[in-house]
Amino acid sequence: VIYNSRGFIIVYVLWGLCLQPNTVRSDKLHSLSTSLNKDLDSHFPPMGRVMMPRPSMCHTSSLQIPKDKEASENELISLARSLLLAWNDPLLLLSSEAPTLPHPSNGDISSKIRELQDYSKSLGDGLDILVNKTSAMKRPPAEFNFHFLMSCFRRDSHKIDSFLKVLRCRATKMRPETC
Amino acid sequence: MMWRDVGVTLILSLILPVVAQGARHTPPGKPKLTSCRSPDKETFTCWWEAGSDGGRPTTYSLFYHKENSETVYECPDYHTAGANSCFFSKNETSIWVNYNITVVATNALGNNFSDPVDVDVVYIVQPHTPENVTVGVLEDEDGPFLRVSWEPPSKADTRSGWITLIYELRVKLEEAEEWEEHRAGQQKMFNIFSLHSGGVYMVQVRCKPDHGFWSEWSTASYVIVPDYIPRERSMWILIAVFSAFIFLILTWIITLNRSSVKHCLLPPVPGPKIKGFDQQLLKKGKPEEVFNSLVVQSFPPRSTDYEDLLVEYLEVYVNEKQELMPEGKDLQDVGCLKSKSQSDNDSGRGSCDSHTLLMEKCGGVESKDESSYEEPELLQGQAGSWERLERGDSQVVDTPDSSDGRVKTWPLVFSPSIHGSSDNHHYGTLEMPKQHSTSEITYSVPDHLFPTSTSFPHHHHPEYRDSLGEYSEYRCSRSPSTGVAYHWEARHPTQAHSNFNIRNLERQKEATGLGLPPSRSMEYVEVQKVNQENQLVLKPLSSHGRGPFQVQFGRAGVDYSKVNGVNNDNVLLLQRQREMAEAGQYCNYREKEGAEAERYPTQQQGKTTKDGPVATQLQESTCLTTSGYVDTAPTMPTF
Repeated sequence: VIYNSRGFIIVYVLWGLCLQPNTVRSDKLHSLSTSLNKDLDSHFPPMGRVMMPRPSMCHTSSLQIPKDKEASENELISLARSLLLAWNDPLLLLSSEAPTLPHPSNGDISSKIRELQDYSKSLGDGLDILVNKTSAMKRPPAEFNFHFLMSCFRRDSHKIDSFLKVLRCRATKMRPETC
Repeated sequence: MMWRDVGVTLILSLILPVVAQGARHTPPGKPKLTSCRSPDKETFTCWWEAGSDGGRPTTYSLFYHKENSETVYECPDYHTAGANSCFFSKNETSIWVNYNITVVATNALGNNFSDPVDVDVVYIVQPHTPENVTVGVLEDEDGPFLRVSWEPPSKADTRSGWITLIYELRVKLEEAEEWEEHRAGQQKMFNIFSLHSGGVYMVQVRCKPDHGFWSEWSTASYVIVPDYIPRERSMWILIAVFSAFIFLILTWIITLNRSSVKHCLLPPVPGPKIKGFDQQLLKKGKPEEVFNSLVVQSFPPRSTDYEDLLVEYLEVYVNEKQELMPEGKDLQDVGCLKSKSQSDNDSGRGSCDSHTLLMEKCGGVESKDESSYEEPELLQGQAGSWERLERGDSQVVDTPDSSDGRVKTWPLVFSPSIHGSSDNHHYGTLEMPKQHSTSEITYSVPDHLFPTSTSFPHHHHPEYRDSLGEYSEYRCSRSPSTGVAYHWEARHPTQAHSNFNIRNLERQKEATGLGLPPSRSMEYVEVQKVNQENQLVLKPLSSHGRGPFQVQFGRAGVDYSKVNGVNNDNVLLLQRQREMAEAGQYCNYREKEGAEAERYPTQQQGKTTKDGPVATQLQESTCLTTSGYVDTAPTMPTF
């Protein structure tokens, strides 16, 4: 972000242009994870207190989300990127576990996870262009429950998608219709 | 007694619960959370439904705790959202956090907990309906259209991009059954085209967040489309009328010029020009005969035929007495003669033409003569003529006397003329029908004609005429056949092959009763001259290099005419011989004079090589073999 009024706008515009495809990817990422979770829910008992040992939280829970939607762009974009990065390894884990999952359609699940990885990768590359800040890597979870992990991913992908769309809207103030 | 007690107990146990039912108060039934919804991803509301109240006033309370926290909170607001609801305000709402919600029903007797429900606010977003839906009718060049516009629900914060909404609208005519739905994406305006003029349309809009639930449909907006005539339709009507008009005019024109149009589109099919094909015969309904006439021994033309073909027309001078004259005249007139006279040294184009011409003319003549023919079939084709010849076999010869000055042209006569330029002068005498008096008749001399012709002397004119006619037709039919004639022509352009020296013949009173055998394998003989005794001096063509000529003959199927003998008058008695096989038998040929005859055999031989079976050599005094050539060269029968 250039703190020159004109440059600011220019960067915004460019940024907006760059953001659009990324929002598309993040949207797709979340949709995929949602459908994946639905598949899992249909077979396994819904995630609830019963299933979850307490306390149990997603390994990314320490990544603090903004207090409100007025957070700065920097915050949003870095958070989105951090979240994405935090899932690279877990996705690998999930991908390797999927084939052996005791689920009737674990083939579908496997392919969906692979798709998730693809989108995650391309989104990560897209975000890297916008942000050249390194963020602290989050350790992958120690305990590993497939279903739970997938639910965490679903949430995080939603976060990423939301952040990017907020950023996109802000970047294209000239064309409010995109919001 | 015991029984009685049991019975009473039983009855009481049955009745009491029923009675007590109505009066009993029980703890409330189990409530159930029906749904939780967030219109803006910042607040949310949960609704529940009550179980049975157990007969007592029952209160409901909602408790929740957030994930990974044990603290239980109670619903902060039971009223904002209505009965049996709990509204979570912005402050109480945390997104991306699981809420575990339970509803408790409580009455004097007890309470009852509902099943807990896990809720993440961001997953339960359902916006309100779009607002300010307006529908207007606008005009453009294609006609009126509807423009629908709306606004996002006020509660949803789309300006900051917090919620991204996509819209959908549906339209239908008021009286229609089915809605027509359209996705509008993120835009807030939509155009609808192709309207029914004068119709009343209903429009509704709804929206949905990117990952959430569809809102309710907005209240219907009504719009009336004014009457209009669709320009597009009117244009098509104009075009249709115009086309119909043009079509009518065209039809009228075509009707006026029916015949010429018909002639143009469906040109008359030229009639068959099959040599020997008799349409009359066909009409008579005797196809076999027609075909038979086509399939004459003369076809494929045997060598003798070729000779005939090559021979154009032999002009025969016919006495005035002869009825032939007319025929001859016809022929002449026809221009059959014309070919002969041209001593054009070119490739015989003329002769070819003449042949053709002759053919045609002869065809005409033929048809004319047809009636006079004994066997109409014969007339038609070479085959016919062959047959004819056969008949005439017996008559071969002599009678030159009988013919009053008729000149019978024999194929043999012609043949000699076929070859060689040197023949020209021979031919010259023969040819030039034009030069001759009109009385000349040209004949194309197919061998087979000869026999017939020989009979002429014995016959009265009609026959003669017939024979002539036959000849002519024969000629006609022959000449065009195959390239033989053509070839021949080429070599002897000057001679219209058939231009034998008819003049010479003319001098004779009698028709030359050349009993030329009708044999197919024609060996052409030239008529060198007519000697004083009215004999045709024939010279075998072979002497003039008949080679190529022979070849042609060779290829023909052979129609052999066999010479039965030479009579005292040096008339060759030819016998029609069709089969080649028999050819050998005809060695009656006796040459009267000349060495030419001898040559003939050689030629014959040469010829026969072509045509295997034909062979038999013609020896000097032997008649022609298969080829049926009668070497009359040396002998000129006196007729």
